[in-house]
Amino acid sequence: MDSTTLIDDIKTNVIQGRVTSDDEGFDEGFEGKPATVELVEKALEEGVDIKALIVDGLTGGMNIVGERFETGVYLIPDMLAAAEAVGQAMDILSPHLESAGVESKGKFLIVTVKGDLHDIGKNIVSIMLKGAGFKIVDMGTDVATDKIIEAVETHKPDFLGMSALLTTTMREMPNVIDGLKSRGLRDNVKVLIGGAPTSPEFTEKIGADVHCADAFQAVDYTNANA
Amino acid sequence: MIIIGENINATIPRIKDLIVNHDVSSLKDLAVRQEKSGADIIDINVATGVGTAEDEISDMKWLIELVRDKVDVKLCVDSADTAVLKAGIEAGGEKIGLINSVKATEKNIAEVLPLAAEFGLPVIALAMDEGGIATDSKTRLKACEKVIKGAETHSVPVENIFFDPLVMPVSTDIKQGVTTLETLKGIKEEFPQAKTVLAVSNVSFGLQKRTLINQALIHMAQYLSVDALLVNPLNAEFMLAIKAGETVTGRDRHCRKYSRAVRKMN
Repeated sequence: MDSTTLIDDIKTNVIQGRVTSDDEGFDEGFEGKPATVELVEKALEEGVDIKALIVDGLTGGMNIVGERFETGVYLIPDMLAAAEAVGQAMDILSPHLESAGVESKGKFLIVTVKGDLHDIGKNIVSIMLKGAGFKIVDMGTDVATDKIIEAVETHKPDFLGMSALLTTTMREMPNVIDGLKSRGLRDNVKVLIGGAPTSPEFTEKIGADVHCADAFQAVDYTNANA
Repeated sequence: MIIIGENINATIPRIKDLIVNHDVSSLKDLAVRQEKSGADIIDINVATGVGTAEDEISDMKWLIELVRDKVDVKLCVDSADTAVLKAGIEAGGEKIGLINSVKATEKNIAEVLPLAAEFGLPVIALAMDEGGIATDSKTRLKACEKVIKGAETHSVPVENIFFDPLVMPVSTDIKQGVTTLETLKGIKEEFPQAKTVLAVSNVSFGLQKRTLINQALIHMAQYLSVDALLVNPLNAEFMLAIKAGETVTGRDRHCRKYSRAVRKMN
């Protein structure tokens, strides 16, 4: 199999959201055929260009998934399946990235704010950004405001993503931003916020950089500002 | 979830007429439509009550031979008469996938289980013995125990036993839904290697909007990991509800089967 076919196959499997060969795809008739993990392993064995694999195979596939999600053809589990495939592919590829000349696009610190235990949306964003080539520092849920500020200081991320699913916990977001300002860190990091109760108006009011209505908006913004 | 299509059953008056009149095209069509609608196995029952025991044997042969090559899925021979079961199995050969059924009576175990062993076929075992259908789960589980012992005696692997905990109408005894579920739960606990099947429709006998009642029982049984259902697959909304149950009970990774079925309906 030549490398273009292999990369095309990987793209197809990302779009189908198939991690391993036992997975069903979005469409019928894929069960038992090699999927993302097997194909990426094969690509490594065959010395396929890793950069091309990531750009054309993984990111290319994920872009189509994004379009299909936006047009309502794909639903959340379809997108999650694809993100999982990309995430696992990146795990396999990560030890080889440096030697392949693939640079990290930047560091992304992601949290669910204090008092809030919701993590589904945060995890989707996390996986998608990982697939897009960012280094992710995921601090989990219910992360105290001063812990977030400390982490921005130590990890020096390019982006900070904050999630809140409750009207009570979203009020913690301005505290983080004020804390960053008072420590002189605000200008070092772009702040993305998301979660059901958040809005562009709220984003503006608290002085965050961008509101993300879904994971793809987070990826788009991050890519554009990398 | 294994879906056994229940539609070709001579105890349904309309089907009885088709069989008595040897309506070839309608019966073939009924088999094909069940397969297309998602049946994994198609049940064949020719107990019209018209004619002799020999007539029933020849009807079974006739119908199995008729349907055999029209579908890709397996057939299930359904009869209370061992001779009819045997005739069906011989007529269907490789195409037979299931025997329906054996009761936990000494006589029935001695007749039907050797047949299951000889042909290497799975068999539905009803949770009832000489005492008939018990209203409580404890007695039904005792009947299951007899079948397990019989399976040992006749060298039928326990994996090939599909226990039917028995479904009785809630319209005549409101406790029957729970009895079925408790029996199912008991089978899963006591004989974890055995499989289970529900002939669901009986639960809603005598009620309106029967599909809703059937679905309610199925969903609860899915939580208890029922392996197979004997149902009418031609109702697409109903089949979707079964898929919904599989999805909610975690048997449908990334909700693929459910989403795909919805897409097909739109």
